[in-house]
Amino acid sequence: MAEMLTKNQTRRTVLKGAAGAAALGAVGLPFPMPAIAQETTWTLANSLRSVANPYHATFAKGGEDFAKSIGAKYEVLVTEGNSEKGIADIKALLQRSGGKLILNVDPNDSPDARVIVEEVKKAGGFVVTQWNKPADLHPWDFDPNYIAHMSFDGVPTAEAIANELFKAFGGEGGIVALGGILSNVPAIERKLGLDNAIAKTNGKVELLDFQPADWNEQKAFEITQAWLTRFGDKVKGVFAANDGMGMGALEALRQNGLAGKVPVVGIDGIDAAVAAIEAGEFAGTVAWDPLWTGGMGLAIPYAHATGKIDITKEGHEHREFYGTGIIVTKESVADFKSNPSKIDFNDLWGKATGQIQYRG
Amino acid sequence: MKIAAPAGGTWIKQWRRWAPVAVLVGLCILIGLFNSNFFGLSNLIRMLNTASIPLVICMGATFIILMGSIDLSAEGVIAICAVAASMLVANDFTGVAIGPLSVPAAIVIGGLIGLLNGYIHVKFRIPSFMTTLGMGFAGIGVATAILGGVMVRISDNEFRNYLSLGRFLDIPAAVYIAAIAVGVAWVIQERTRIGRWLYAIGTDEATARNAGIPVDRTRILIFGIAGTFYGLAGALSAAQIGRGHALISQDRLFAAITAVVVGGTALSGGVGSVLNSVIGVFIVIVLTNGMILMGIEPYVQKGVQGLLIIAAVALALDRSRLDVVK
Repeated sequence: MAEMLTKNQTRRTVLKGAAGAAALGAVGLPFPMPAIAQETTWTLANSLRSVANPYHATFAKGGEDFAKSIGAKYEVLVTEGNSEKGIADIKALLQRSGGKLILNVDPNDSPDARVIVEEVKKAGGFVVTQWNKPADLHPWDFDPNYIAHMSFDGVPTAEAIANELFKAFGGEGGIVALGGILSNVPAIERKLGLDNAIAKTNGKVELLDFQPADWNEQKAFEITQAWLTRFGDKVKGVFAANDGMGMGALEALRQNGLAGKVPVVGIDGIDAAVAAIEAGEFAGTVAWDPLWTGGMGLAIPYAHATGKIDITKEGHEHREFYGTGIIVTKESVADFKSNPSKIDFNDLWGKATGQIQYRG
Repeated sequence: MKIAAPAGGTWIKQWRRWAPVAVLVGLCILIGLFNSNFFGLSNLIRMLNTASIPLVICMGATFIILMGSIDLSAEGVIAICAVAASMLVANDFTGVAIGPLSVPAAIVIGGLIGLLNGYIHVKFRIPSFMTTLGMGFAGIGVATAILGGVMVRISDNEFRNYLSLGRFLDIPAAVYIAAIAVGVAWVIQERTRIGRWLYAIGTDEATARNAGIPVDRTRILIFGIAGTFYGLAGALSAAQIGRGHALISQDRLFAAITAVVVGGTALSGGVGSVLNSVIGVFIVIVLTNGMILMGIEPYVQKGVQGLLIIAAVALALDRSRLDVVK
């Protein structure tokens, strides 16, 4: 029952978000969410690309969970991949909340982050950014309004999951790899991690071919089909830079009777990938814990706004930090499912794993 | 293949008629020279399988384009129908499980959305470009709203087997279904009044109206027919990947329109055929498959695709009838 309730509420939130985006998107007004109980004067909001993808839907839910825990007004702003709309919605919400806004934003594109941070500072709100920002934009240069930037380090993560793939087929042979959109930072990092892992096998694992499938399941399906023709049984494993593409590759393998015989790995930790691990078809994935980033991106600025912490006195490792990716494999999947991530909103940096590095 | 060429076709007209086929054959030979696996039976079956869903989508898209209109709603309609189909068979999201009936259900839903497209376009005199663009967005929005960002996982293996995975004579079920869809489209085009009216409307709507053709009704009906093909494509997509979600048809629309045009159906209407689109789909699929077989750099692949589209249209399209090119 409890689960039903959350599902329904998420759906209602999404419906309103979608309706708002559709009806009011053109004028750039965000759709107001009903306040659950108004115990604080701060308005909380998560801005994200689209609730159509599981990662962002969970990210939005994380924010909702935190807002509920303090009884604050909470809104979800959806960019639908449009930077202009994303920024316009944020400006409108800043105006409406009179600057008393705590914003947790996954900018549509890196340059957007600067504009958003400047707008929030001007209005006197607080902002946390996720994943995308220019390398020279730092929270400490916008004290105290730019609270923090959170990300996940794609290089060690991809390296770790690639090693799980090698283990799954015995550590020797050829693999094929599906990459994301070539210019995306996560796509570049994950490719680098894969290259590192391959280099460390001293030639035992060979990268037969690398193709960008643009994070698209269908493209991954088509490319994998062609690979099976080109390389045949030389393909011992498939590396996918995200689970969506991994699922496309898996279905192509299934069409050729190879599901479960040729292992696949992905990144993101979506439900379908976790189920495929249980079925022995995926060798592993990395779960990002968007519930945590969705909630903590509001909890940290809220702690500052209410005087619990003074963010300007925190070190850089608390202003620009990586979250923890959880490696899920056949061995750990049962444990992963039975212990869903528990989030303590008072443990602000408990899951942070080091300061963000910039690779030239 | 029906290309509405004036009578007494010169050799150049004959050539135009067969240009898409020549492009396809040329491509196959070229790729086969680089990688002999290309002509292997298993690769041919893989390409047929990859082509099955685009073929079904293109049957609908071709009718609309023959009429001189455009339908940008395909991705949205497919998304809704795929989500509906996956929610109607045994799944982890709803308790409903009507098994095989989910396929006609998806087709009917697709058809109804198509009729709505046509009705709005004709009755409110809104260009098909805008009507269908809006409907496409609305479709993805509705699919998103129903699911709230999650995916529906299909646990009905029969559904997946009969629509996609199962094989008869080593050829996957989806290929047979696509072949039937092509057959149905061909019959509609060649053997029904709707098919003939379609060309008349696409060639010159005013004349068609004067000749007593019920233009408005035909237009609405054609949008409905296109919708049924998208509905079927939705059910096939869900069966192919075993899940239903709002982004299931991502990037399908542009590929479909490309295939229709590369096949030699003119965007201006009245010229082309569903069989042209079959050739067009195979040109696109063979090219994608071939470039990976030949090991062409990913950066170069998109450029080659773009050039091929322009070249194919230049070869196939009879521009002598066009007063202006816009």
